[in-house]
Amino acid sequence: MILPGLAYLAIFFVVPFWSLFRTSLSSMGGSIYLPQLTFAWNFGNYAHALSTYQDQILRSLLYAFTATVVSLAISYPLAYVIAFKSGRYKNLLLGLVVLPFFVTFLVRTLAWKTILADDGVVVQTLNTIGLLPPDGRLLSTSWAVIGGLIYNSMTFMILPLYVSLEKIDPRLLEASRDLYSSGTRAFTKVIFPLSVPGVLAGSLLVFIPAMGDFINADYLGSTQTTMIGNVIQKQFLVVKDYPGAAALSFLLMAMILAGVLSYTRALGTENLV
Amino acid sequence: MANEFDPRQLSRIASTRTSRRRLLGGGAAAAAALALGPSFLAACGSSSTTSSSSSSAPPPDDGKPASGNLRISNWPLYMADGFVAAFQKASGLTVDYKEDFNDNEQWFAKNKEPLSRKQDIGADLVVPTQFMALRLKQLGWLNEISETRVPNRKNLRPDLLNDKSDPGRKFTAPYMSGMVGLAYNKTATGREITKIDDLWDPKYKGKVSLFTDMQDGLGMIMTSQGGDVANPTMDSVQKAVDLVKEQKDKGQIRRFTGNDYADDLAAGNIAIAQAYSGDVVQLQADNPDLEFIIPESGGDWFIDTMTIPYTTQNQHAAEAWIDYVYDRANYAKLVAFVQYVPVLSDMTDELNKIDPKLAANKLINPPQDFQDKLHTWAALTDEQTQQFNTAYAAVTGG
Repeated sequence: MILPGLAYLAIFFVVPFWSLFRTSLSSMGGSIYLPQLTFAWNFGNYAHALSTYQDQILRSLLYAFTATVVSLAISYPLAYVIAFKSGRYKNLLLGLVVLPFFVTFLVRTLAWKTILADDGVVVQTLNTIGLLPPDGRLLSTSWAVIGGLIYNSMTFMILPLYVSLEKIDPRLLEASRDLYSSGTRAFTKVIFPLSVPGVLAGSLLVFIPAMGDFINADYLGSTQTTMIGNVIQKQFLVVKDYPGAAALSFLLMAMILAGVLSYTRALGTENLV
Repeated sequence: MANEFDPRQLSRIASTRTSRRRLLGGGAAAAAALALGPSFLAACGSSSTTSSSSSSAPPPDDGKPASGNLRISNWPLYMADGFVAAFQKASGLTVDYKEDFNDNEQWFAKNKEPLSRKQDIGADLVVPTQFMALRLKQLGWLNEISETRVPNRKNLRPDLLNDKSDPGRKFTAPYMSGMVGLAYNKTATGREITKIDDLWDPKYKGKVSLFTDMQDGLGMIMTSQGGDVANPTMDSVQKAVDLVKEQKDKGQIRRFTGNDYADDLAAGNIAIAQAYSGDVVQLQADNPDLEFIIPESGGDWFIDTMTIPYTTQNQHAAEAWIDYVYDRANYAKLVAFVQYVPVLSDMTDELNKIDPKLAANKLINPPQDFQDKLHTWAALTDEQTQQFNTAYAAVTGG
């Protein structure tokens, strides 16, 4: 029964992974249009990638981290309300959370371009009430990119949170009340610890794609907000430096893995939901 | 309200006259490449016993008239209504016309393996941009276009016919050309824009966009610094790259774009953009504040060319098509639809017959003083392409 799954993993994960790994340590020769990659334990690819693109790497970490934290802060109360307080509106609210995903990712992102446009209503209003300097803008700033990352990934935060909150046995809450716990204490001692798997799963589902994202930075960002995903895209398709791009991909993977491991350890759980 | 979400903008984004040269195609390819990552890599890495150097000798002409089926792969929205049907009627051929050429590099990435093994790619005639066509020619993957079967080739503009990248247009038959210049929004700039230096006016900080494409992005800047795109050197490219980097670091340049500059320009997010003439013709219909100029120091041509891959199944039919396109009356119908600059000379009369406004439009029928300021990039060697792209990508990608 497990064979098809294993075969799938072998074909679509192990083989490509191995090929990418070899590429990342290869040297490039031959014509640039039909390059010949020779495996050469070329660790220089990594050193070069790290030193050339450290700005983008750090920026990606910062953006993805901010997006995850903000997304968690916004999503937790919402998931809480849906799980415990929404009554018969539960399905409706869940439906609304998922609804934006019926529209394609690209169109949703481009719509933000229109909303945040320099001459748009939002910017003009903020100008008028003095929250934004007269020549200030929203589009093509770090804020727009982080905002896009948050917007495009909120569902992935809300749903796992909802699932883990919804699973909590209401009798545990009753028990905490019976033991004279205050509302806050019931939350910190009962609800939050039990929802940690959801927090963890949600954070990972937001952080990992955000780290490698290039669409938001491309459409909502400027020349000052490029992320590592943009660099990899460019290296693969324009410069055609396959080893360099592969090395960057592996660095990205390693950083995400390290982040995920330490985060999982810190939260002290191995159950993802 | 100016900033309401305009469905036409989206359709323009999705459509290809604007999306022809835009980044979105590249983005999609990148998404695919990243998703498929390694298999894509495997495809990129392997094989290649290339028969580089020169292109194939023309297949011997059997003297028979063209017959059968012709498979054309062209950019979307790059064809006039009824044109294919008229060709089929006139020639007796059947045409399988596909609008599946979306992006030069994407097309190349997909087809280089079969081409390097000389396997059919499902098209007898394709329309890459000139730099790509010359790359194919250098790799030896193009058939020569018969002299006798395309007598209308004499109608080509002399500057194109005699271009030294393919003298006599033996392998690459121009289909449409366009101007790479500057477009600006008069209300946003508040004045006329005439030269490259205007891009760096502090007043337009964060309101300028440049092309990601190396040739289209750097060409006019190099020219303004005294460089020559017909004879580019690494020094002249680097000098232009350095200037772009300096301006980028200052925050002057908002974005590096494909064709998506059009939406930012129309929305007022961008005041001055590097632009393609055909796009601006269409944008002006909605937004009369937009202007297109060739900078004083000069701009560039871009040229899309009809080519016959050496894997073609119907050489004669492809040549019959090229000859049909090169008839001025036929060609005027195409120009009226796609609104780029004709590659044939003396088109004024034929354009007037369709709509006098076409011939009067400087961006479709550029006057001589416009044309004098336009340059064409030399065919680059592999090393140059690699070096120049790497230098520019270091700025645009980071």
